[in-house]
Amino acid sequence: MASRKEAPSGKSLDSPVRQIQIEGLVVMKIIKHYQEEGQGSEVVQGVLLGLVVEDRLEITNCFPFPQHTEDDADFDEVQYQMEMMRSLRHVNIDHLHVGWYQSTFYGSFVSRALLDSQFSYQHAIEESVVLIYDPIKTAQGSLCLKAYRLTPKLMEICREKDFSADGLKKASVGYENMFEEVPIVIKNSHLINVLLWELEDKSTAADKHELLNLSSSTHLEKSLQMLMDRVDEMSQDINNCLFFIPLQYIQRRQQENAQRQSRGEPPLPEEDLSKMFKPPQPPPRMDTLLIASQLSTYCQTIKEFTSQNLGKLFMAEALQGTSSYS
Amino acid sequence: MSRFFATGSDSESEESSSADEITPKATGTTFNKNKEAFTPNLILCCPLRFRFEELTNIIKTIRNAMKIRDMSKCLEEFEQLYRAFLKSKTIVDKEGVPQFYIRLLADLEDYLNQLWEDKEGKKKMNKNNAKALSTLRQKIRKYNKDFETEIASYKENPEQSAEEEEKDDIGSASSKSDDDDDEGITAKSLMKKKPQEEEKKAPEASKFLKGAADEESESDDDEDSEDWGSDSVDSGGESEDNEGAAASLAVVFLKKAQDGDKQHEPKKDGRRKRHKKIEQVEEEVDEDGEAEEGGWEKVKGGVPLVKEKPKMFAKGTEINSAVVIKKLTEILQARGKKGTDRAAQIELLHALSGISNENNLGQGILVKIKFNIIASLYDYNTNLAAFMKPEMWKKCLECIDELLDILFENNNIFIGENIAEDSENLAISDQPFRVRGCILTLVERMDEEFTKIMQNTDPHSQEYVDNLKDEGRVCGIIDRLLQYLESKGSTEEVCRIYLRRIMHTYYKFDYKAHRRSLGLQGETKSEQDQEESEGEDSAIIMDRLCKFIYAKDRTDRIRTCAILCHIYHHALHSRWYQARDLMLMSHLQDNIQHADPPVQILYNRTMVQLGICAFRQGMIKDAHNALLDIQSSGRAKELLGQGLLMRNMQERNAEQEKIEKRRQVPFHMHINLELLECVYLVSAMLLEIPYMAAHEFDARRRMISKQFHHQLRVGERQPLLGPPESMREHVVAASKAMKMGDWRTCHSFIINEKMNSKVWDLFPETQCVREMLVRKIQEESLRTYLFTYSSVYDSISMETLSEMFELELPTVHSIISKMIINEELMASLDQPTQTVVMHRTEPTSLQNMALQLAEKLGGLVENNERVFDLKQGVYGGYFNRDQKGGYQQKQNYQRDQKGGYQQKQNYQRGGYRNQNQSSY
Repeated sequence: MASRKEAPSGKSLDSPVRQIQIEGLVVMKIIKHYQEEGQGSEVVQGVLLGLVVEDRLEITNCFPFPQHTEDDADFDEVQYQMEMMRSLRHVNIDHLHVGWYQSTFYGSFVSRALLDSQFSYQHAIEESVVLIYDPIKTAQGSLCLKAYRLTPKLMEICREKDFSADGLKKASVGYENMFEEVPIVIKNSHLINVLLWELEDKSTAADKHELLNLSSSTHLEKSLQMLMDRVDEMSQDINNCLFFIPLQYIQRRQQENAQRQSRGEPPLPEEDLSKMFKPPQPPPRMDTLLIASQLSTYCQTIKEFTSQNLGKLFMAEALQGTSSYS
Repeated sequence: MSRFFATGSDSESEESSSADEITPKATGTTFNKNKEAFTPNLILCCPLRFRFEELTNIIKTIRNAMKIRDMSKCLEEFEQLYRAFLKSKTIVDKEGVPQFYIRLLADLEDYLNQLWEDKEGKKKMNKNNAKALSTLRQKIRKYNKDFETEIASYKENPEQSAEEEEKDDIGSASSKSDDDDDEGITAKSLMKKKPQEEEKKAPEASKFLKGAADEESESDDDEDSEDWGSDSVDSGGESEDNEGAAASLAVVFLKKAQDGDKQHEPKKDGRRKRHKKIEQVEEEVDEDGEAEEGGWEKVKGGVPLVKEKPKMFAKGTEINSAVVIKKLTEILQARGKKGTDRAAQIELLHALSGISNENNLGQGILVKIKFNIIASLYDYNTNLAAFMKPEMWKKCLECIDELLDILFENNNIFIGENIAEDSENLAISDQPFRVRGCILTLVERMDEEFTKIMQNTDPHSQEYVDNLKDEGRVCGIIDRLLQYLESKGSTEEVCRIYLRRIMHTYYKFDYKAHRRSLGLQGETKSEQDQEESEGEDSAIIMDRLCKFIYAKDRTDRIRTCAILCHIYHHALHSRWYQARDLMLMSHLQDNIQHADPPVQILYNRTMVQLGICAFRQGMIKDAHNALLDIQSSGRAKELLGQGLLMRNMQERNAEQEKIEKRRQVPFHMHINLELLECVYLVSAMLLEIPYMAAHEFDARRRMISKQFHHQLRVGERQPLLGPPESMREHVVAASKAMKMGDWRTCHSFIINEKMNSKVWDLFPETQCVREMLVRKIQEESLRTYLFTYSSVYDSISMETLSEMFELELPTVHSIISKMIINEELMASLDQPTQTVVMHRTEPTSLQNMALQLAEKLGGLVENNERVFDLKQGVYGGYFNRDQKGGYQQKQNYQRDQKGGYQQKQNYQRGGYRNQNQSSY
């Protein structure tokens, strides 16, 4: 399989990791993991192992978290991880913990849970990343694997646990710069390349019809549905904000001032609202931010998908045109 | 009950109850009472003692209230005092106004004036108190005018009067102490004055003894009964008293006949004797003991009534109308008073009527007596909720029947409630009789009693059936009265009796007319049936009666009821258009909420009947609309007056529950609730399922029937779906089938054995209804099918459709055409091939989704704007924008923003909110 390179996302990254190099083995293992255990909207997770070389993070191996049900509540994850890593070290595999991976359902991965766990990872191991694997897109013919890290700004905020509007403003964190995507390179050892080359030669022409699948509506519908849900959540959040402000008082004061102005009197002085009203708990901004971020991710995926599909449709038209004319 | 009970009691037997009123207040003076119990002479002073004790008790409370400045309490007590004082007027007249009373009045006035001056204190008072203060002040001012001299003299010399009384009180200081406790705290002016009063009466008793004795003979019954009461407190319960009274009274009658007008003396004698006896033998009083005394033999052994009756008058007396009338008034005086033996009264009246009949005293008197018998029959139950006993009821019916007989036979009797008592002519047979009384009211009351009996009988018992048989008699009486009043009564009376008649007609299905209309005349089996079927159609009767009421009635209520009943009757007999027109013309829907609950219940019943009628006629939409209000509340049972819902006591206390119970409709008039619900659900299904199919992707689709949706959801929540059991489950299962356009399954769920027995067989024209229903199901299934699956077809042959739904081709054609015209179905008809060609104009689900998303985003942006505006303080922009329609809003979005921006600039110019400028 040819290695794929994601275009770096515009600006240069000021984080210790600038590039991620993944072994083909890891990709295969992740895909296999999902194939075996994940179905539908269920999510599978696992641990990435590797090492850091200069500003490059090399992921050389991984292992899945077992799917644990509610029955075995005494299952100790940490214990399991330590055990696993020890065993891997015995067989001389890189045992450095460098992050984790997660599958996703139509790109819905930006959540509080992800933020929290990635924060704790990055807090403990600075270089760690999260790999997001989209099985649905992969099933359509293009492998979709993305690596994300929290931006240093967000890290700071998370460290201080200051999710108020002011805190976010001060740190100038918007939904755009919450996560940074790290370019991925998939690299195989030469031996494997040789093997692949040999295999490719032997194998009959592989069917790659998925890539050319023209049907788009189901996928789009699903995406739209999820987008809509998010928008609903957003609206609700905004409504909460509306009621947070002592609306009526401000209105009254405003009208009074307008009257005074029309009579030529000086407006009433602005009083400190917080003194008059017991300030209610300001709604935390983080969730809204996450929703916004998720929305932008959705939009990104939809855009990508539609542009690809349009391309395919044009191609199909062209093909049909030639066939009918010839 | 004693056998004396039946021998009769009369007006004087009220003593025990009035005594009961007084005794509780006497608790503080057991000492006196005991003494008196052994000294019969003291009895005489009792009225005085009781009166004064009552007064002093009240005065005590007033003084207490004064101390704590509780004005409202003061006012209340003062009013009570005033009343008590009035009661003891006779004594006061004899003895002069008691000092303590005057003292209180003076003190109270001073106190009030003092309070009134004290502006500060007044301000502190709460509203109630302040109000009470001013009222009380005015009252006492006015009242004190009557006692000006006494008060003045008291004010001049308060000590003296106090001392005077102290002298009186030497003997008794027993309960003084507790009074002192109270008084000790009061202001100086109050000191020393009050304490004596309480004990005054005991010594005074002897002082007043003579006076009381003199007074006694003249004093009215009230007074008398009191002193009795005081004695008999210990001696026994009410029943005992009654017994005694009954016994003695029987004697009274005997004696009275002999010595004419001097009834009072012997009566009192008898009573006093009895009382002494009671005191002596206490609980062991029995008839024998009483019989031992001279002259009581006749009562002994509970002589059968018939024999005793003639003895109402002495043997020698010539029984003429004057004597009988006198006796009658005498009996009637006891009416309504406590302690009167009502059963005995009825017996007495019966006896009297017998006597007057025997002596041929003329119909006038008889009518008068009958009136009173019926009235006292109604009186028998003091409680409004209680219902008549069967034997009473029978008697009542008989009496009214007899009364009507007399009235019909004798054309020269005038009755009316407006005939004054003294202008009555009962005896002189040359002139027409004039009798006071209203037969209509009696009959109305009888009707109400009948309803009450039906309400209180278990509807599933044989008893109910038996009681219901009386309905015929009730109707008969009403009919007869109707005839009578038609010739004699005023229009209003006729209206009232018409309404009664209507009330007994409107809810009955006229099977005879129904059969006749079907041409099945020959089927009547017995002669009676034949006879009955020759009677007028109830429809014609209803029409005649109602129209009379519409024309003549002047009270709104009767007309409203008549209209409702008329509509109900129409609806019951499937005359849908008449019923509907009448309902719409009456405008009752607009103002029924102002009517009283019974009328509202009638209205609800009518609406429900109307809905069911519409359903039978196949007007599904009308049926649904009519039933919607009743069914959507979930309280159909309550709204129709067919039972109370279980609710906790906070929402309804015992009193309300009683009232509501009285409003219940008797069982035989009930509307079957399951039928009602089924009709509603089926009509909702027929409307809702195609609608749901048509608006599957519409984000803003509304529910037609919440209740139906609720049932659907309940059905969906079921973890395991077995074959339907209840009516609801059947409807839900049918709805599911209909959703798929599967009319056969739907049909089998709606119409089957179970549903037939539960619902459909309850309709008079079962077969028609079922046929109508099948057809509706077919049609609506076709519509649903087209809505749901039109996107699958490019074209579909109408013939196929007609085969699928077993509808004739023209019907299919018309349904599809209607759908196309209403723009529900994007298609066109291809005539030559008889096919429907679909147009693909509906948005795909993806497009729908995109539209929805756009809408949501619009909302989001709007909300965001609001928040932003708030933050910036641009209110005008937001409110103006809010008034525009949602669609316009989006279009004007750009412009609004500009406006908002301008406004922001204004603010800047005004230098307002400088701190925000930086953020622009």
